[in-house]
Amino acid sequence: MSSWRSRSQQSNSSRISDEQINDLVSKLQMLLPETRIRNNDRVSSAKVLQETCNYIKNLHREVDDLSERLAELLETTDMSSSQAAIIRSLFM
Amino acid sequence: MASTPSSSSSPSPSQPKARKKPGQTTSPPPPPQTKWRTGTQERLYSRRLVDALQATRDRAQPPESVGSRAVKEAADSALAMTARGQSRWSRAILFNRNSCRKRVLVKAGGKIRRNRRKHQAIPPATEEAGTTSGVLKERKVKERLKKLGRIVPGCKKLPAATLLEEAADYVAALEMQVRTMRALAEALSAAAVSVPEEEEMEIAEQGS
Repeated sequence: MSSWRSRSQQSNSSRISDEQINDLVSKLQMLLPETRIRNNDRVSSAKVLQETCNYIKNLHREVDDLSERLAELLETTDMSSSQAAIIRSLFM
Repeated sequence: MASTPSSSSSPSPSQPKARKKPGQTTSPPPPPQTKWRTGTQERLYSRRLVDALQATRDRAQPPESVGSRAVKEAADSALAMTARGQSRWSRAILFNRNSCRKRVLVKAGGKIRRNRRKHQAIPPATEEAGTTSGVLKERKVKERLKKLGRIVPGCKKLPAATLLEEAADYVAALEMQVRTMRALAEALSAAAVSVPEEEEMEIAEQGS
């Protein structure tokens, strides 16, 4: 407890305990596909944050690609006729 | 034991108020991994997405085709609404939609300037390598946290713990968005393949 107090006196921004942050970082680590497979305790929080940034950027890029694809598909297909088929397939 | 002027909550037996209250029946929110992977969430989102896409197509003038950016915005708005405003990033997405486009442009200009300043700020950090490794690691972590705050919408000035929670929720939500959009694209392309075949069969019947 004394070491935690001295750390909080050094940096003004860490009013929240380091344990809480480590806990959240490990939760984030469980979400990322790469670090989850390794599942080491040696993955530092900086590395997890870096992986998170990269992963979110990758997901954004996938969303952009899928948006392009969907935009093209929307032009060609008539939603009203195939809408029943779409909803059926989505509910499966 | 001297009195500790600690601002954050520390579990001490002398404070039962922070502990369990017998009157409360609300359970803590489910972790983002499970929350965004339930079948109901996916179905909710996919239905919202289909509606939003149809609305976008109706709103777009017939000569102009639906652009990919409009599709992405519709998908993001649908995703934010499926979050039911429980997370900061979802509220930020919805509020940014309503604001005028000028604000978005100003933000983009501000971001470019900020990036340049960041490039100037990084060399001074490496010059101070004489400090203890713990402080250096903290600085690295803070840098990465700021970077994350810029990527997740509406989380630029959040404290670390809140930012990490928002990021976890955002990652799980994005995964669901990608899954759903991919499934929709597959379904649409499959429908596009089958419909021309039916038309060909009709033409063949009429011809014979």
